[in-house]
Amino acid sequence: MKTVIETKKLSKWYGNVLGLSDVSLQIEAGITGILGPNGAGKSTFLKLITGQIKPNIGSCTIEGQKIRNNYHFYSKIGFCPEQDSFYEEMTGWQFMTGLLKLHHYSPSEIKAMTKEALEIVELTEDKDRVIKSYSRGMRQRLKFAQAIAHKPEIIVFDEPLNGLDPLGRRKIIRLVKSYEEEGKTILVSSHVLPEIEAMTKQIILIHQGKVFAQGDIHYIRDLIDTHPHIVSIKCRNPRQLASTFIREDYVLNIHFGSADNTLLIETNNRDKFFSLLPSLFVKYNIEVDEITSPDDNLQAVFDYLVEK
Amino acid sequence: MNKITVRRLLFLWNSIRKVYSFFFFMGKKSNKTKIFFIVALLPVIMALIIKLNPIFSGRSSTEGIYIFSNVIIVFYLQALILLLALFFGTSVCSEEVEGKTLTYLTTRPVSKSAIILGKYAAYTSLVILMTGIGVTISFLILNVNKLHDFSLYEILIRDVIVLSLGIMCYTALFTFVGTFLKKSILFGFVFGFGWENVIQYFPGSTQRFSIVHYLKSLLPVPKTGRFSFLMFKLEPSTPVAAVFMLFLITGIFLGLACLFFSLKDYIFED
Repeated sequence: MKTVIETKKLSKWYGNVLGLSDVSLQIEAGITGILGPNGAGKSTFLKLITGQIKPNIGSCTIEGQKIRNNYHFYSKIGFCPEQDSFYEEMTGWQFMTGLLKLHHYSPSEIKAMTKEALEIVELTEDKDRVIKSYSRGMRQRLKFAQAIAHKPEIIVFDEPLNGLDPLGRRKIIRLVKSYEEEGKTILVSSHVLPEIEAMTKQIILIHQGKVFAQGDIHYIRDLIDTHPHIVSIKCRNPRQLASTFIREDYVLNIHFGSADNTLLIETNNRDKFFSLLPSLFVKYNIEVDEITSPDDNLQAVFDYLVEK
Repeated sequence: MNKITVRRLLFLWNSIRKVYSFFFFMGKKSNKTKIFFIVALLPVIMALIIKLNPIFSGRSSTEGIYIFSNVIIVFYLQALILLLALFFGTSVCSEEVEGKTLTYLTTRPVSKSAIILGKYAAYTSLVILMTGIGVTISFLILNVNKLHDFSLYEILIRDVIVLSLGIMCYTALFTFVGTFLKKSILFGFVFGFGWENVIQYFPGSTQRFSIVHYLKSLLPVPKTGRFSFLMFKLEPSTPVAAVFMLFLITGIFLGLACLFFSLKDYIFED
Protein backbone atom coordinates (compact mmCIF):
# COMPACT_ATOMS: atom_id res chain seq x y z
CA MET A 1 0.00 0.00 0.00
CA LYS A 2 1.09 3.58 -0.62
CA THR A 3 2.65 5.54 2.22
CA VAL A 4 0.47 8.50 3.18
CA ILE A 5 2.35 9.93 6.14
CA GLU A 6 6.11 9.72 6.46
CA THR A 7 8.35 10.99 9.23
CA LYS A 8 12.13 11.00 9.21
CA LYS A 9 14.10 11.29 12.44
CA LEU A 10 11.35 13.46 13.88
CA SER A 11 12.40 14.97 17.21
CA LYS A 12 10.91 17.64 19.40
CA TRP A 13 12.01 19.19 22.68
CA TYR A 14 10.11 21.59 24.90
CA GLY A 15 13.06 23.42 26.44
CA ASN A 16 14.92 20.66 28.23
CA VAL A 17 11.99 18.27 28.16
CA LEU A 18 11.96 15.64 25.46
CA GLY A 19 8.70 15.45 23.59
CA LEU A 20 9.61 13.06 20.81
CA SER A 21 12.89 11.50 19.79
CA ASP A 22 14.11 10.22 16.45
CA VAL A 23 10.81 8.95 15.10
CA SER A 24 10.98 7.55 11.57
CA LEU A 25 7.72 6.04 10.42
CA GLN A 26 5.71 5.30 7.34
CA ILE A 27 1.95 5.24 7.76
CA GLU A 28 -0.39 3.86 5.14
CA ALA A 29 -4.10 4.34 4.53
CA GLY A 30 -6.43 2.72 7.06
CA ILE A 31 -6.62 3.08 10.82
CA THR A 32 -3.39 3.35 12.78
CA GLY A 33 -3.56 3.43 16.55
CA ILE A 34 -1.06 5.53 18.49
CA LEU A 35 -0.72 3.94 21.84
CA GLY A 36 1.12 5.03 24.93
CA PRO A 37 0.63 6.24 28.49
CA ASN A 38 -0.13 9.88 29.29
CA GLY A 39 2.87 12.07 28.51
CA ALA A 40 4.39 9.48 26.18
CA GLY A 41 4.53 11.89 23.25
CA LYS A 42 1.38 10.88 21.37
CA SER A 43 -0.05 14.39 21.16
CA THR A 44 3.35 15.83 20.25
CA PHE A 45 3.57 13.32 17.42
CA LEU A 46 0.09 14.19 16.16
CA LYS A 47 0.76 17.93 16.38
CA LEU A 48 4.01 17.49 14.48
CA ILE A 49 2.46 15.52 11.65
CA THR A 50 -0.39 18.02 11.35
CA GLY A 51 2.09 20.90 11.25
CA GLN A 52 0.86 22.60 14.40
CA ILE A 53 4.35 22.63 15.86
CA LYS A 54 7.67 22.42 14.11
CA PRO A 55 10.24 19.71 14.79
CA ASN A 56 13.67 20.52 16.18
CA ILE A 57 15.15 17.80 13.99
CA GLY A 58 13.73 15.73 11.18
CA SER A 59 10.86 16.13 8.81
CA CYS A 60 7.32 15.04 8.21
CA THR A 61 5.40 14.81 4.97
CA ILE A 62 1.84 13.91 4.04
CA GLU A 63 1.44 12.56 0.52
CA GLY A 64 4.97 13.76 -0.13
CA GLN A 65 4.24 17.36 0.85
CA LYS A 66 5.52 19.31 3.83
CA ILE A 67 2.57 20.24 5.97
CA ARG A 68 3.63 23.10 8.26
CA ASN A 69 2.39 26.44 6.91
CA ASN A 70 1.17 24.60 3.78
CA TYR A 71 -2.34 25.76 4.64
CA HIS A 72 -4.00 24.70 1.36
CA PHE A 73 -3.38 21.12 2.42
CA TYR A 74 -5.59 21.46 5.49
CA SER A 75 -8.71 21.02 3.39
CA LYS A 76 -7.66 17.35 3.28
CA ILE A 77 -7.07 17.03 7.01
CA GLY A 78 -9.44 16.74 9.93
CA PHE A 79 -8.07 17.14 13.43
CA CYS A 80 -9.85 16.32 16.65
CA PRO A 81 -7.75 17.76 19.50
CA GLU A 82 -7.33 16.16 22.89
CA GLN A 83 -8.05 19.29 24.93
CA ASP A 84 -11.62 20.02 25.95
CA SER A 85 -11.60 23.59 24.62
CA PHE A 86 -14.20 25.51 22.66
CA TYR A 87 -15.50 28.98 21.93
CA GLU A 88 -17.84 28.52 24.85
CA GLU A 89 -20.30 31.31 24.07
CA MET A 90 -21.12 29.93 20.63
CA THR A 91 -23.81 27.38 19.96
CA GLY A 92 -22.88 24.03 18.46
CA TRP A 93 -24.30 25.12 15.10
CA GLN A 94 -22.42 28.44 15.10
CA PHE A 95 -19.18 26.69 16.04
CA MET A 96 -19.49 24.21 13.19
CA THR A 97 -20.60 26.69 10.52
CA GLY A 98 -17.97 29.20 11.65
CA LEU A 99 -15.15 26.70 11.25
CA LEU A 100 -16.49 25.41 7.94
CA LYS A 101 -16.52 28.98 6.62
CA LEU A 102 -12.73 28.89 6.93
CA HIS A 103 -12.75 26.12 4.31
CA HIS A 104 -14.18 28.57 1.76
CA TYR A 105 -17.39 26.60 1.17
CA SER A 106 -20.58 28.28 0.00
CA PRO A 107 -23.27 28.99 2.63
CA SER A 108 -25.48 26.17 1.32
CA GLU A 109 -22.59 23.69 1.44
CA ILE A 110 -21.72 24.81 4.97
CA LYS A 111 -25.30 24.31 6.07
CA ALA A 112 -25.51 20.85 4.54
CA MET A 113 -22.15 19.73 5.93
CA THR A 114 -22.94 21.02 9.41
CA LYS A 115 -26.32 19.32 9.39
CA GLU A 116 -24.82 16.02 8.30
CA ALA A 117 -21.94 16.11 10.81
CA LEU A 118 -24.23 17.01 13.71
CA GLU A 119 -26.59 14.22 12.71
CA ILE A 120 -23.72 11.73 12.68
CA VAL A 121 -22.70 12.61 16.22
CA GLU A 122 -26.34 12.92 17.33
CA LEU A 123 -26.20 16.57 18.31
CA THR A 124 -28.94 17.87 16.00
CA GLU A 125 -31.38 18.47 18.83
CA ASP A 126 -28.81 20.41 20.85
CA LYS A 127 -27.34 22.42 17.99
CA ASP A 128 -28.79 25.72 19.22
CA ARG A 129 -27.56 25.39 22.78
CA VAL A 130 -24.41 27.26 23.79
CA ILE A 131 -21.41 24.99 24.05
CA LYS A 132 -20.75 25.87 27.69
CA SER A 133 -24.02 24.13 28.56
CA TYR A 134 -22.97 20.88 26.83
CA SER A 135 -22.08 17.77 28.82
CA ARG A 136 -18.60 16.29 28.53
CA GLY A 137 -19.81 13.64 26.13
CA MET A 138 -21.55 16.20 23.92
CA ARG A 139 -18.45 18.34 23.81
CA GLN A 140 -16.42 15.33 22.79
CA ARG A 141 -18.87 14.53 20.02
CA LEU A 142 -18.81 18.15 18.81
CA LYS A 143 -15.02 18.00 18.60
CA PHE A 144 -15.40 14.85 16.57
CA ALA A 145 -17.97 16.51 14.30
CA GLN A 146 -15.73 19.49 13.45
CA ALA A 147 -12.98 17.06 12.42
CA ILE A 148 -15.14 15.08 10.00
CA ALA A 149 -17.58 17.72 8.71
CA HIS A 150 -15.53 18.71 5.65
CA LYS A 151 -15.02 15.04 4.69
CA PRO A 152 -11.23 15.02 4.94
CA GLU A 153 -9.06 12.25 3.50
CA ILE A 154 -6.79 12.18 6.53
CA ILE A 155 -8.34 12.32 9.97
CA VAL A 156 -6.37 12.61 13.18
CA PHE A 157 -8.16 11.88 16.43
CA ASP A 158 -6.33 12.65 19.67
CA GLU A 159 -7.98 10.63 22.44
CA PRO A 160 -11.42 10.75 20.77
CA LEU A 161 -13.18 8.51 23.26
CA ASN A 162 -12.38 10.54 26.39
CA GLY A 163 -15.48 11.43 28.36
CA LEU A 164 -17.86 9.33 26.30
CA ASP A 165 -20.27 6.84 27.80
CA PRO A 166 -20.03 3.19 26.65
CA LEU A 167 -22.76 3.72 24.07
CA GLY A 168 -21.07 6.81 22.69
CA ARG A 169 -17.76 4.98 22.55
CA ARG A 170 -19.24 2.13 20.57
CA LYS A 171 -20.80 4.60 18.15
CA ILE A 172 -17.56 6.51 17.60
CA ILE A 173 -15.58 3.29 17.20
CA ARG A 174 -18.06 2.16 14.57
CA LEU A 175 -17.78 5.53 12.80
CA VAL A 176 -13.98 5.45 12.79
CA LYS A 177 -14.07 1.97 11.31
CA SER A 178 -16.48 3.12 8.61
CA TYR A 179 -14.00 5.79 7.50
CA GLU A 180 -11.42 3.08 6.99
CA GLU A 181 -13.81 1.37 4.60
CA GLU A 182 -14.00 4.62 2.63
CA GLY A 183 -10.24 4.42 2.08
CA LYS A 184 -9.32 7.26 4.41
CA THR A 185 -6.19 7.48 6.51
CA ILE A 186 -7.02 7.66 10.19
CA LEU A 187 -4.73 8.14 13.14
CA VAL A 188 -6.23 7.53 16.56
CA SER A 189 -4.35 8.03 19.79
CA SER A 190 -5.28 6.62 23.15
CA HIS A 191 -3.76 5.51 26.41
CA VAL A 192 -6.56 3.00 26.86
CA LEU A 193 -5.59 -0.19 25.11
CA PRO A 194 -8.98 -1.82 24.60
CA GLU A 195 -10.12 1.37 22.82
CA ILE A 196 -7.39 1.05 20.21
CA GLU A 197 -7.79 -2.68 20.04
CA ALA A 198 -11.45 -2.23 19.20
CA MET A 199 -10.59 -0.01 16.26
CA THR A 200 -7.46 -1.44 14.71
CA LYS A 201 -4.71 -4.03 14.83
CA GLN A 202 -2.25 -1.62 13.26
CA ILE A 203 -0.49 0.15 16.07
CA ILE A 204 2.41 2.38 16.97
CA LEU A 205 3.61 2.07 20.54
CA ILE A 206 5.08 5.27 21.96
CA HIS A 207 6.67 5.66 25.35
CA GLN A 208 8.92 8.42 26.72
CA GLY A 209 9.01 10.09 23.32
CA LYS A 210 10.25 7.02 21.50
CA VAL A 211 8.55 4.53 19.24
CA PHE A 212 8.78 1.10 20.83
CA ALA A 213 7.21 -0.79 17.99
CA GLN A 214 5.11 -0.36 14.89
CA GLY A 215 2.98 -2.83 13.01
CA ASP A 216 0.28 -5.39 13.40
CA ILE A 217 -0.25 -6.62 16.92
CA HIS A 218 0.72 -10.16 15.88
CA TYR A 219 3.81 -8.86 14.14
CA ILE A 220 4.80 -7.09 17.34
CA ARG A 221 4.29 -10.29 19.25
CA ASP A 222 6.60 -12.08 16.84
CA LEU A 223 9.19 -9.39 17.34
CA ILE A 224 9.36 -10.12 21.02
CA ASP A 225 9.74 -13.86 20.96
CA THR A 226 10.91 -13.99 24.54
CA HIS A 227 7.75 -12.32 25.76
CA PRO A 228 6.30 -14.61 28.44
CA HIS A 229 2.71 -15.61 27.79
CA ILE A 230 0.23 -16.73 30.37
CA VAL A 231 -2.15 -19.51 29.46
CA SER A 232 -5.08 -20.36 31.68
CA ILE A 233 -6.34 -23.95 31.57
CA LYS A 234 -9.50 -25.01 33.32
CA CYS A 235 -9.61 -28.81 33.70
CA ARG A 236 -10.67 -31.60 36.04
CA ASN A 237 -7.18 -32.39 37.33
CA PRO A 238 -4.97 -29.30 37.22
CA ARG A 239 -2.37 -30.67 39.65
CA GLN A 240 -1.64 -33.64 37.45
CA LEU A 241 -1.28 -31.36 34.45
CA ALA A 242 1.04 -29.09 36.47
CA SER A 243 3.29 -32.01 37.34
CA THR A 244 3.81 -32.79 33.65
CA PHE A 245 4.60 -29.18 32.72
CA ILE A 246 7.00 -28.59 35.57
CA ARG A 247 9.65 -30.64 33.75
CA GLU A 248 9.52 -28.55 30.57
CA ASP A 249 12.20 -25.88 30.13
CA TYR A 250 9.89 -23.52 28.21
CA VAL A 251 7.57 -23.27 31.23
CA LEU A 252 8.64 -20.41 33.49
CA ASN A 253 5.94 -20.39 36.18
CA ILE A 254 2.94 -22.38 37.24
CA HIS A 255 0.19 -21.00 39.47
CA PHE A 256 -3.10 -22.38 40.61
CA GLY A 257 -5.84 -19.87 39.96
CA SER A 258 -8.27 -18.60 42.54
CA ALA A 259 -11.10 -20.25 40.65
CA ASP A 260 -11.51 -24.00 41.05
CA ASN A 261 -9.60 -26.24 38.66
CA THR A 262 -7.71 -23.41 36.99
CA LEU A 263 -4.05 -23.61 36.17
CA LEU A 264 -2.03 -20.58 35.06
CA ILE A 265 1.09 -21.45 33.09
CA GLU A 266 3.66 -18.88 32.06
CA THR A 267 5.72 -19.86 29.03
CA ASN A 268 8.38 -18.19 26.92
CA ASN A 269 7.68 -20.39 23.92
CA ARG A 270 4.05 -20.14 23.09
CA ASP A 271 4.21 -22.14 19.86
CA LYS A 272 5.95 -25.11 21.43
CA PHE A 273 3.62 -25.03 24.39
CA PHE A 274 0.51 -25.15 22.25
CA SER A 275 1.90 -27.82 19.95
CA LEU A 276 2.52 -30.16 22.90
CA LEU A 277 -0.66 -29.39 24.77
CA PRO A 278 -3.08 -31.73 22.92
CA SER A 279 -0.77 -34.73 23.22
CA LEU A 280 -0.45 -34.19 26.98
CA PHE A 281 -4.21 -34.04 27.38
CA VAL A 282 -4.52 -37.32 25.52
CA LYS A 283 -1.61 -38.98 27.30
CA TYR A 284 -2.87 -38.19 30.80
CA ASN A 285 -6.52 -38.38 29.89
CA ILE A 286 -7.25 -34.85 31.13
CA GLU A 287 -10.63 -33.41 30.40
CA VAL A 288 -10.32 -29.74 29.52
CA ASP A 289 -13.13 -27.29 30.11
CA GLU A 290 -11.50 -24.08 28.83
CA ILE A 291 -8.20 -22.70 27.53
CA THR A 292 -7.73 -18.94 27.51
CA SER A 293 -4.85 -16.54 27.16
CA PRO A 294 -5.49 -13.67 29.62
CA ASP A 295 -2.55 -11.62 28.40
CA ASP A 296 -3.34 -12.00 24.72
CA ASN A 297 -4.09 -8.32 24.25
CA LEU A 298 -2.26 -5.08 23.70
CA GLN A 299 -1.92 -4.39 27.39
CA ALA A 300 0.36 -7.38 27.84
CA VAL A 301 2.55 -6.42 24.91
CA PHE A 302 2.67 -2.81 26.03
CA ASP A 303 3.51 -3.64 29.65
CA TYR A 304 6.21 -5.97 28.50
CA LEU A 305 7.74 -3.45 26.11
CA VAL A 306 7.72 -0.69 28.67
CA GLU A 307 9.38 -2.90 31.30
CA LYS A 308 11.93 -4.00 28.73
CA MET B 1 1.89 41.45 -10.53
CA ASN B 2 1.62 38.04 -12.12
CA LYS B 3 -1.47 35.83 -11.98
CA ILE B 4 -0.19 33.63 -9.15
CA THR B 5 0.48 36.63 -6.91
CA VAL B 6 -2.97 38.05 -7.66
CA ARG B 7 -4.58 34.67 -6.91
CA ARG B 8 -2.66 34.43 -3.63
CA LEU B 9 -3.66 37.93 -2.61
CA LEU B 10 -7.27 37.19 -3.47
CA PHE B 11 -7.15 33.99 -1.41
CA LEU B 12 -5.57 35.89 1.51
CA TRP B 13 -8.26 38.56 1.25
CA ASN B 14 -11.02 35.94 1.21
CA SER B 15 -9.45 34.14 4.16
CA ILE B 16 -9.20 37.39 6.14
CA ARG B 17 -12.88 38.05 5.43
CA LYS B 18 -13.87 34.57 6.68
CA VAL B 19 -11.81 34.90 9.84
CA TYR B 20 -13.16 38.42 10.33
CA SER B 21 -16.79 37.33 10.12
CA PHE B 22 -16.13 34.40 12.50
CA PHE B 23 -14.58 36.61 15.19
CA PHE B 24 -16.75 39.66 14.66
CA PHE B 25 -19.82 37.51 15.15
CA MET B 26 -18.31 35.79 18.18
CA GLY B 27 -16.92 39.04 19.60
CA LYS B 28 -20.34 40.70 19.48
CA LYS B 29 -21.78 38.03 21.72
CA SER B 30 -18.90 37.64 24.15
CA ASN B 31 -19.06 38.72 27.77
CA LYS B 32 -15.74 40.49 27.38
CA THR B 33 -17.24 42.80 24.75
CA LYS B 34 -20.25 43.51 26.93
CA ILE B 35 -18.04 44.49 29.88
CA PHE B 36 -15.78 46.69 27.78
CA PHE B 37 -18.77 48.28 26.10
CA ILE B 38 -19.86 49.48 29.54
CA VAL B 39 -16.32 50.78 30.10
CA ALA B 40 -16.47 52.58 26.75
CA LEU B 41 -19.66 54.29 27.90
CA LEU B 42 -18.07 55.77 31.06
CA PRO B 43 -17.61 59.19 29.38
CA VAL B 44 -21.35 59.22 28.76
CA ILE B 45 -21.84 59.29 32.54
CA MET B 46 -19.21 62.03 32.71
CA ALA B 47 -21.06 63.98 30.02
CA LEU B 48 -24.36 63.56 31.89
CA ILE B 49 -22.86 64.81 35.16
CA ILE B 50 -21.24 67.78 33.41
CA LYS B 51 -24.49 68.62 31.66
CA LEU B 52 -26.65 68.29 34.76
CA ASN B 53 -24.23 70.02 37.14
CA PRO B 54 -25.18 73.65 36.21
CA ILE B 55 -28.85 72.80 36.73
CA PHE B 56 -28.29 71.69 40.33
CA SER B 57 -25.38 73.99 41.25
CA GLY B 58 -26.79 77.09 39.59
CA ARG B 59 -23.39 77.90 38.01
CA SER B 60 -23.10 78.90 34.39
CA SER B 61 -22.27 76.00 32.12
CA THR B 62 -19.21 75.71 29.86
CA GLU B 63 -19.98 75.27 26.21
CA GLY B 64 -20.77 71.65 25.35
CA ILE B 65 -18.50 71.35 22.33
CA TYR B 66 -15.57 72.74 24.36
CA ILE B 67 -16.06 70.07 27.04
CA PHE B 68 -16.49 67.43 24.36
CA SER B 69 -13.26 68.26 22.52
CA ASN B 70 -11.10 68.98 25.55
CA VAL B 71 -12.31 66.50 28.16
CA ILE B 72 -14.26 63.65 26.60
CA ILE B 73 -12.07 63.17 23.52
CA VAL B 74 -8.84 63.57 25.49
CA PHE B 75 -10.10 61.02 28.02
CA TYR B 76 -10.83 58.60 25.20
CA LEU B 77 -7.51 59.35 23.55
CA GLN B 78 -5.28 59.02 26.58
CA ALA B 79 -7.04 56.33 28.54
CA LEU B 80 -10.00 54.49 27.06
CA ILE B 81 -8.81 53.58 23.58
CA LEU B 82 -5.50 52.46 25.09
CA LEU B 83 -7.31 50.24 27.55
CA LEU B 84 -9.67 48.76 24.94
CA ALA B 85 -6.92 48.27 22.36
CA LEU B 86 -4.75 46.64 25.02
CA PHE B 87 -7.33 44.06 26.05
CA PHE B 88 -8.61 43.31 22.57
CA GLY B 89 -5.24 43.51 20.82
CA THR B 90 -3.34 41.22 23.15
CA SER B 91 -6.20 38.74 23.13
CA VAL B 92 -6.02 38.25 19.34
CA CYS B 93 -3.38 35.61 19.94
CA SER B 94 -3.30 35.00 23.68
CA GLU B 95 -6.96 34.01 24.10
CA GLU B 96 -6.48 31.31 21.45
CA VAL B 97 -3.43 29.97 23.25
CA GLU B 98 -4.80 30.28 26.78
CA GLY B 99 -8.21 28.95 25.72
CA LYS B 100 -6.49 26.18 23.73
CA THR B 101 -8.71 26.91 20.72
CA LEU B 102 -5.82 27.77 18.40
CA THR B 103 -5.87 24.21 17.02
CA TYR B 104 -9.27 24.79 15.44
CA LEU B 105 -7.89 27.70 13.42
CA THR B 106 -4.43 26.42 12.50
CA THR B 107 -5.79 23.19 11.06
CA ARG B 108 -7.95 25.01 8.50
CA PRO B 109 -7.01 26.04 4.97
CA VAL B 110 -6.32 29.64 5.92
CA SER B 111 -2.87 31.12 6.39
CA LYS B 112 -1.68 32.16 9.81
CA SER B 113 -1.40 35.74 8.56
CA ALA B 114 -5.09 35.61 7.61
CA ILE B 115 -5.94 34.43 11.14
CA ILE B 116 -4.05 37.34 12.71
CA LEU B 117 -5.27 39.97 10.26
CA GLY B 118 -8.88 38.74 10.27
CA LYS B 119 -9.13 38.58 14.02
CA TYR B 120 -7.32 41.91 14.39
CA ALA B 121 -9.77 43.51 11.95
CA ALA B 122 -12.76 42.01 13.79
CA TYR B 123 -11.60 43.22 17.19
CA THR B 124 -10.57 46.63 15.87
CA SER B 125 -14.03 47.05 14.33
CA LEU B 126 -15.67 46.11 17.61
CA VAL B 127 -13.57 48.59 19.59
CA ILE B 128 -14.22 51.34 17.02
CA LEU B 129 -17.93 50.56 17.22
CA MET B 130 -17.96 50.64 21.02
CA THR B 131 -15.95 53.87 21.12
CA GLY B 132 -18.00 55.45 18.33
CA ILE B 133 -21.25 54.80 20.18
CA GLY B 134 -19.84 56.23 23.43
CA VAL B 135 -18.41 59.31 21.72
CA THR B 136 -21.62 59.99 19.78
CA ILE B 137 -23.87 59.68 22.84
CA SER B 138 -21.53 61.96 24.83
CA PHE B 139 -21.56 64.47 21.98
CA LEU B 140 -25.34 64.45 21.79
CA ILE B 141 -25.72 64.91 25.55
CA LEU B 142 -23.23 67.77 25.76
CA ASN B 143 -24.64 69.54 22.70
CA VAL B 144 -28.29 68.73 23.25
CA ASN B 145 -29.30 72.36 22.84
CA LYS B 146 -27.27 72.83 19.62
CA LEU B 147 -28.18 69.77 17.66
CA HIS B 148 -29.37 71.91 14.76
CA ASP B 149 -25.85 73.32 14.31
CA PHE B 150 -24.45 71.06 11.62
CA SER B 151 -20.95 72.53 11.84
CA LEU B 152 -20.58 70.73 15.18
CA TYR B 153 -21.02 67.38 13.50
CA GLU B 154 -17.81 67.97 11.55
CA ILE B 155 -15.99 68.03 14.89
CA LEU B 156 -17.69 64.78 15.90
CA ILE B 157 -16.71 63.07 12.64
CA ARG B 158 -13.12 64.34 12.83
CA ASP B 159 -12.76 63.16 16.44
CA VAL B 160 -14.25 59.74 15.71
CA ILE B 161 -11.81 59.35 12.79
CA VAL B 162 -8.85 60.32 14.98
CA LEU B 163 -9.93 57.89 17.70
CA SER B 164 -10.43 55.16 15.10
CA LEU B 165 -6.91 55.72 13.79
CA GLY B 166 -5.66 55.48 17.37
CA ILE B 167 -7.54 52.24 17.94
CA MET B 168 -6.20 50.83 14.66
CA CYS B 169 -2.62 51.69 15.61
CA TYR B 170 -2.69 50.66 19.28
CA THR B 171 -4.54 47.40 18.55
CA ALA B 172 -1.90 46.52 15.94
CA LEU B 173 0.87 47.19 18.44
CA PHE B 174 -0.78 45.10 21.16
CA THR B 175 -1.63 42.33 18.69
CA PHE B 176 2.07 42.10 17.92
CA VAL B 177 2.99 42.11 21.61
CA GLY B 178 0.42 39.37 22.28
CA THR B 179 2.00 37.05 19.72
CA PHE B 180 5.28 36.74 21.57
CA LEU B 181 4.85 37.86 25.19
CA LYS B 182 3.05 35.81 27.81
CA LYS B 183 2.51 38.79 30.10
CA SER B 184 1.48 41.07 27.29
CA ILE B 185 -1.11 42.92 29.39
CA LEU B 186 1.58 43.99 31.86
CA PHE B 187 3.77 45.26 29.04
CA GLY B 188 0.74 47.02 27.56
CA PHE B 189 0.02 48.87 30.80
CA VAL B 190 3.64 49.97 31.15
CA PHE B 191 3.75 51.12 27.53
CA GLY B 192 0.31 52.65 27.35
CA PHE B 193 0.13 54.39 30.67
CA GLY B 194 3.86 54.87 31.19
CA TRP B 195 5.72 55.55 27.97
CA GLU B 196 2.83 57.04 25.99
CA ASN B 197 1.71 59.29 28.81
CA VAL B 198 5.20 60.59 29.59
CA ILE B 199 7.07 60.80 26.31
CA GLN B 200 4.38 62.94 24.66
CA TYR B 201 5.21 65.82 27.00
CA PHE B 202 8.93 65.79 26.14
CA PRO B 203 9.93 68.80 24.09
CA GLY B 204 11.54 68.44 20.67
CA SER B 205 11.42 65.37 18.46
CA THR B 206 11.40 62.80 21.32
CA GLN B 207 7.60 62.99 21.49
CA ARG B 208 7.49 61.59 17.95
CA PHE B 209 8.34 58.20 19.46
CA SER B 210 4.84 58.00 20.86
CA ILE B 211 1.68 57.11 18.96
CA VAL B 212 -0.39 59.64 20.84
CA HIS B 213 1.78 62.45 19.39
CA TYR B 214 0.48 61.68 15.90
CA LEU B 215 -3.10 61.42 17.12
CA LYS B 216 -2.90 64.76 18.93
CA SER B 217 -1.33 66.26 15.81
CA LEU B 218 -4.64 65.62 14.04
CA LEU B 219 -6.61 67.55 16.67
CA PRO B 220 -6.73 71.34 17.03
CA VAL B 221 -4.42 72.68 19.74
CA PRO B 222 -6.20 74.88 22.31
CA LYS B 223 -3.91 77.81 23.03
CA THR B 224 -5.68 78.92 26.16
CA GLY B 225 -8.37 77.77 28.49
CA ARG B 226 -8.72 75.43 31.46
CA PHE B 227 -7.91 72.28 29.50
CA SER B 228 -5.03 73.52 27.38
CA PHE B 229 -2.61 71.58 29.65
CA LEU B 230 -3.83 68.39 27.96
CA MET B 231 -2.02 69.44 24.82
CA PHE B 232 0.99 70.75 26.82
CA LYS B 233 4.28 70.87 24.93
CA LEU B 234 2.76 69.42 21.79
CA GLU B 235 4.88 70.22 18.76
CA PRO B 236 2.54 68.76 16.16
CA SER B 237 3.52 66.94 13.00
CA THR B 238 1.66 67.86 9.82
CA PRO B 239 -1.66 66.02 9.39
CA VAL B 240 -0.36 64.17 6.31
CA ALA B 241 2.78 63.06 8.15
CA ALA B 242 0.71 62.05 11.19
CA VAL B 243 -1.71 59.90 9.16
CA PHE B 244 1.18 58.38 7.21
CA MET B 245 3.02 57.50 10.45
CA LEU B 246 -0.09 55.96 12.01
CA PHE B 247 -0.62 53.73 8.98
CA LEU B 248 3.09 52.91 8.82
CA ILE B 249 3.21 51.93 12.52
CA THR B 250 0.06 49.81 12.07
CA GLY B 251 1.52 48.08 9.01
CA ILE B 252 4.85 47.37 10.67
CA PHE B 253 3.30 45.89 13.82
CA LEU B 254 0.78 43.80 11.89
CA GLY B 255 3.55 42.52 9.62
CA LEU B 256 5.64 41.57 12.63
CA ALA B 257 2.63 39.95 14.32
CA CYS B 258 1.99 37.79 11.22
CA LEU B 259 5.65 36.84 11.04
CA PHE B 260 5.88 35.86 14.74
CA PHE B 261 2.60 34.00 14.64
CA SER B 262 3.68 31.99 11.59
CA LEU B 263 7.07 31.06 13.02
CA LYS B 264 6.40 30.54 16.70
CA ASP B 265 5.30 27.26 18.31
CA TYR B 266 2.46 27.82 20.73
CA ILE B 267 2.43 25.22 23.48
CA PHE B 268 -0.71 24.79 25.55
CA GLU B 269 -0.13 24.65 29.28
CA ASP B 270 -2.01 22.17 31.46
